[in-house]
Amino acid sequence: MLWVRRITAGGLVVGAVLGLAGCGGDAGTAAGDKNATGARATGTLRLGSVVVPASLAASKAAWANDAPFHQAVYDTLLRQDPDLKIEPGLATEWSYNADKTVLTLKLRTGVKFSDGTPFDAKVAAENITRFRDGTSNLRSYLQEVRTAEAVDASTLRLTLSAPNPALLSYLAGAAGLQASPKTFGAANADTRPVGTGPYVLDAAKTVIGSTYVYKRNPNYWKPADQHYASIVLTVYQTPTATVNAVRGGQVNGVAVPDASVQQQVAAAGFDVKTSELNFLGLLLFDRDGKITPALKDVRVRQAINYAVDRPTLVKAVGKGLGTPTTQIFKATDKESFDPALDGRYPYDPAKAKQLLKDAGYAGGFAVTIPQVPSGSTVLYDLVKQELGAVGITVKYVNEPQNSLLADVAKGKFSVVAGLPLQTDPTAWHVANFKLLPHATWNPFHTADPTVAALAGKLQTGSAAEAAKAGKDLNRYIVEQAWFAPWYRPRLGFAVDRNTTAVPQQNNAYPYLWNITPRG
Amino acid sequence: MYRFIARRLGSGVVLIAALATLTFFLLYLGAGDRIARQLLGEDADDAAVRAKEHELGLDRPIWTQFGHWASGAVHGDLGTSWFNGQDVRTAILSRLSVTVTLVIGSTLLTVVLATVLGVVAATRGGWVDRVVQFLGVLGHAVPNFLISLGLVTLFAISLHWFRPTGYVRFADSPQLWLSSITLPVLALTINGVSGVVQQVRGSVLDELGRDYVRTLRSRGLPESRVVYRHVLRNAAGPALSFLGVQVVGLLGGAVIIEQVFAIPGLGQVAVTATGQGDIPLVMGLVVVSAVLVVLVNLLVDLVQGWLNPKVRLG
Repeated sequence: MLWVRRITAGGLVVGAVLGLAGCGGDAGTAAGDKNATGARATGTLRLGSVVVPASLAASKAAWANDAPFHQAVYDTLLRQDPDLKIEPGLATEWSYNADKTVLTLKLRTGVKFSDGTPFDAKVAAENITRFRDGTSNLRSYLQEVRTAEAVDASTLRLTLSAPNPALLSYLAGAAGLQASPKTFGAANADTRPVGTGPYVLDAAKTVIGSTYVYKRNPNYWKPADQHYASIVLTVYQTPTATVNAVRGGQVNGVAVPDASVQQQVAAAGFDVKTSELNFLGLLLFDRDGKITPALKDVRVRQAINYAVDRPTLVKAVGKGLGTPTTQIFKATDKESFDPALDGRYPYDPAKAKQLLKDAGYAGGFAVTIPQVPSGSTVLYDLVKQELGAVGITVKYVNEPQNSLLADVAKGKFSVVAGLPLQTDPTAWHVANFKLLPHATWNPFHTADPTVAALAGKLQTGSAAEAAKAGKDLNRYIVEQAWFAPWYRPRLGFAVDRNTTAVPQQNNAYPYLWNITPRG
Repeated sequence: MYRFIARRLGSGVVLIAALATLTFFLLYLGAGDRIARQLLGEDADDAAVRAKEHELGLDRPIWTQFGHWASGAVHGDLGTSWFNGQDVRTAILSRLSVTVTLVIGSTLLTVVLATVLGVVAATRGGWVDRVVQFLGVLGHAVPNFLISLGLVTLFAISLHWFRPTGYVRFADSPQLWLSSITLPVLALTINGVSGVVQQVRGSVLDELGRDYVRTLRSRGLPESRVVYRHVLRNAAGPALSFLGVQVVGLLGGAVIIEQVFAIPGLGQVAVTATGQGDIPLVMGLVVVSAVLVVLVNLLVDLVQGWLNPKVRLG
């Protein structure tokens, strides 16, 4: 009877395998219906993220790739459309006083948090001050907010110590998130967000750090923005996992920052939309020559710009997916961006050598650049080769991955290579994050009267004056060669055939309500 | 027997305490003021970094921080994640079952396959032996992630038999749970079997040459009984010791496998926490991993003692 048992066992194994057949894909994935929103919304939107979100508490919120995790649960006081036009959110109207130091917002009435707590101006004021005083990486967005107070139940007044031209856009992002007051100080506030938003976190099905499950908020005030019955956000930490999830039909939309992944995802039939939100290049921080005296001379910094073969770097490092540039301003910032500046420093080693000679460095000089384990060896080799060709000797020092940002911000290195920095949405952002003496990415605190004067016009000038100042500032920084940008890499967001997504001009991840079922 | 267990547990506790203390000071002394910056990223200004340092208690003396952590750990409180604020014990427990499922599944498969293949190779010899040895070397030489990619491409993407990424809890759907762990378990098992099968083959060959085997055969016992009842029991000792090492190795292998398959286990969170500088979570993972290693070694010792009473005397 042994053969009978063997046949039976074999049949069971085959049966089990066949039983598994067909369950490789995601049975729960549904396309949803373009015309069905709110209570009629169906299906599950499955999204992939390349980052693990930090705290889910509004007062500690980060943005960029963290945005969808917050937008599922929270509303913001204001909103921005994909072209950055400010729109109503929880605030329906807003106005400044004459000198732009008092912002008054009229709030939507009858809105409740998903825990039943009413939303009003007092709660909004608390959220504002908690973000300003919290530990979000973006808390400086509200540094000019001196007081936030409820004039009445539906009127919020923000009094500023100085005008902030970007404040409205900040209130449409992390700084404007509104959390239930019951979460303030709660022990589990970091992992149990409660907002007025379109979805509610399903804590039982969520694995923090890996998979976040949201179900529709039945009492949402704007059901037209609820395109799906539920949303699942999964973190894919390796390009391999991202590609496997796409090829296995496990996601409807996923962020694909890596150039090679974009090509594989497109080959799998996904529609990849790209945007240029960062710039990559040499960050010439030591403009006062404290560590590397040669960098104090603008001709030396310009020589470095001429020594770089940008098209080659795009091809070799960015796999062809990037736009060569010499400016750090955002291409979508119409008021400050100047297309002509993308080609200000063509590849010209002879001119670079001449500039070095004119500056008294005909024999070249040495510069030390940090090298991190995750950095591209091709990038480091090309930098060494191209700068070496004009007489600048590059010496790399190994830098632990975890230390890079802190050491760079402390001014430990005169030059940094290959650290992508955000191209900020407006000239005011650029001035505050990269140019003014207090800016994080001006680690040697270089003070320049022209920069200060133009930043002043950005802050307090009329719209026309600010626009001119933005353009002038961009041109000045390029001429002074504060940086040696190489190119703007194309970051991607890919959607399957059942889904559409409208890219957000100022964010790596499309805003959640702009990801919808395809008709 | 009880004294044996108590002694082993005692030395395990000392080991875990020493390891935790050493790890704490290595991590915190190297942390300096860069951790808050690393946690917040390039968008944060200096004020945000200082506020974060204060929130995390990094502005306190290191002995105070150690005392705080150690007193919490003794009471089962491993602190909260610096990155996402999650309770470390909850973070680890929610993922422990996933990794343990992978490791147990892989270990069971490894034991069965390595035993069958090892015995067949040793008793049949010839081309069967050569094929098993070749496959053993091949399986050991090919990295985990390449095996994973091959399995995913063939069974998940081409044939659609299994899920290419993700994990489904057994309680949610037993069928999808099986579909989600099959390929990761197979990927881990191939490496495991490759090592253990050589050990089983070698031990069985050694035992087959001993006098008692000749005696058993001369008394007319069937070959299958000689091999499976007597030889295998005696050959199990060395193979079991190797298996113990392999199980600990599987925990390391799970780090890669969980990344490739996007499985929310300890390996995945270990990579994330280390990259982010989330020291409380790293400390918790070190402690839990040490506990697992101590327990696995204790279990191996107990099974060894059951198989061979002379071990207990030692």
